[in-house]
Amino acid sequence: MKDLLTVMKFTMKDLVTRKSFIISNLIILGIIILAFNIPNIINLFTSDKESGDSNANQTMLIVDAENIFEGTLEQINNMNLGYPVKVSNENLSFEDIKTKIDNKEIDDAIIISNKNGQINLEYIVENLVMITEVPESIVNAITAVYTNLQISKLGLTPEQLQSLAPNFNFEMKQTEQEEVAGNPIVMMLMSMVLFFAIYYTAYQVSASITTEKTSKIIETLVTSTTPRTIVLGKTIGVGIVGLMQIVVFVATALICSALFVEEGTFDGLIDFSKITPFLGIMTIIYFVLGYAVYAFLYALTGSTVSKPEDVQTANGPVAIIAVIGFYLAYFTMANPTSELNKLAAILPISSPFCMPFRIMMGIATNQEMLISIVIMLVTIFIVAKISVRIYSQAILNYGTKITLKDMVNLYKSK
Amino acid sequence: MGLKIEKVSKHYGEKTAVDNISFEVNEPGVFGLLGTNGAGKTTTIRMMLGILKKDEGEITWNGKPVERKNVIFGYLPEERGIYPKIKIYDQLMYFAELKGMKKEEASKEIDYWLGRLKVEEYKNMTAEKLSKGNQQKVQFITAILHDPELIVLDEPFSGLDPVNTELLKGIIIELVEKGKYIIMSSHQMTSIEEFCSNVVIINRGKTVLKGNLKEIKNTYPAKTLEINTKQDISSYIKEFGMEIEKNIDNNYVININSEPKAHELIKKLVSQGIEIDKFELKKPSLNDIFIEKVSQ
Repeated sequence: MKDLLTVMKFTMKDLVTRKSFIISNLIILGIIILAFNIPNIINLFTSDKESGDSNANQTMLIVDAENIFEGTLEQINNMNLGYPVKVSNENLSFEDIKTKIDNKEIDDAIIISNKNGQINLEYIVENLVMITEVPESIVNAITAVYTNLQISKLGLTPEQLQSLAPNFNFEMKQTEQEEVAGNPIVMMLMSMVLFFAIYYTAYQVSASITTEKTSKIIETLVTSTTPRTIVLGKTIGVGIVGLMQIVVFVATALICSALFVEEGTFDGLIDFSKITPFLGIMTIIYFVLGYAVYAFLYALTGSTVSKPEDVQTANGPVAIIAVIGFYLAYFTMANPTSELNKLAAILPISSPFCMPFRIMMGIATNQEMLISIVIMLVTIFIVAKISVRIYSQAILNYGTKITLKDMVNLYKSK
Repeated sequence: MGLKIEKVSKHYGEKTAVDNISFEVNEPGVFGLLGTNGAGKTTTIRMMLGILKKDEGEITWNGKPVERKNVIFGYLPEERGIYPKIKIYDQLMYFAELKGMKKEEASKEIDYWLGRLKVEEYKNMTAEKLSKGNQQKVQFITAILHDPELIVLDEPFSGLDPVNTELLKGIIIELVEKGKYIIMSSHQMTSIEEFCSNVVIINRGKTVLKGNLKEIKNTYPAKTLEINTKQDISSYIKEFGMEIEKNIDNNYVININSEPKAHELIKKLVSQGIEIDKFELKKPSLNDIFIEKVSQ
């Protein structure tokens, strides 16, 4: 037990004091802080633009010199377009509008005119680089105002008016019995974050073992402690560092969210009621179990190579398994009640990337969770046993890369 | 008492790396394990320390299996290894703790040995910044830091300059004086002759010679006689039917037929009043014996 702690401590210290580790984590933290500040950065630039003229506040000017709309255009300001609309009946030319835009009095303008009975709308902006068509909202608003104006001239009764503007009541229902509620963006993000966290943390175990083999320190090490202690110590040590990284990243994200993001910004994207402490605990459990499965697989492949250039090839099969597991979870997430998604939640290669989302969506049953955890624990035990066995037999192989057949023979050997 | 290797074998598929090897190290001192490249020395050492499992035979220390719980051992492997990106102090502390030392005690010992091997200025440097010789000295410290009873040194002097070789030899002599059991594998026969009272020579996995080095050498008759004089003695040498191999300023190297005849020649020279500065009947060196045994 003392040796296990010593190996763990040493592995952790080795990992966290590496320049590459420190730099990559600082970059990730920087990206998190930057990501939460994107709205502020955008606002910063926007407010700079606005500060030039207090009258210009994303304002649109509608010019109706011929009074085609008979003074009804002011109604547009009651239609919640998100920006104010000024109406003018003056006969303003294109040059007049250009001057107003240049002076930041307005951002854009629409000139309404009647040419041979055809109403013509001319949309004027500073440049058309990012604009391909007239905003649909203003087109709909102008159309509605004009329609109302014409209908009012027909002298219809309130009932007739009501029948022309029906207020439909839409409801959505699903044929599946299970009620699914989730945050698709959060789920996709979390799925990717969990995959990368598990994959790269587990990969460190392989890197650590290979380093010891390629630097030939292993022979001294195995006379100092048992192979089992080395594999377990490394796996736990690297796992703790990985978990600490996630905690630091999540804590940074939460702090950034509290400091830099205005309340309600993510309300349309995330249903915060679904992010519960239970979900947090289960996510950590699945991270730990998923990490253990992949870490022991990487310990196995790491111990079969003796040259740094063979590491990628040897780790290839584990990478493929991880990618299959991830995509199985990721693509079936669109149909969470499907049998395939249920399978992904139980398979040990995919359940760490799948089950947390089923829990978030409220469709994971206790039985499913229990089964998947038991299957993962059994898998971890079997993979760990094989890994320690192969590691013990293969660590002193400084020759060619060990093949699958060699591995089977090594496992069988005394 | 001590280390006992009894009929130990190791096979890799159809190839036998070590074939029925037996020897004993039953008193403190340096024991020489000799053999050509690929003879099975490293495999024997690995089995001795439990890194490799033996297929047959018994390996015991004071009657008990050689395991970490039964014997404190130190090992300097032939394959030199060190953590390149980790500070010297940290890696020495790591191995010291794995070998059961307490932090304070280990820290003192690390300082002592770094000073003793003249590498104290590298204590807080990463290993990759050290020369190969200094890395080797650090690895040697790893092997002896925890005061082991049994020390296995596989090619301890390879890669060291003469100054550092002497430094290491001095430490090995100190360890022997402290009553340590040292098994040394080396290709440098002069080093083995210098330290080892007992040796075993392995060739192609089999023992070809073992025993007390002095006794082994005594079984080999002297083949040459060296005489340094101030006079020409070539006529006396011819009179005894011997052949002069080399003569530089009356320093003779003579091929002899038998040791008694060589003694008679010396007696004759003395009786004739010839001043002899030095004479020596030369037994074959360990190097000669080794080459003879592994060539058979």
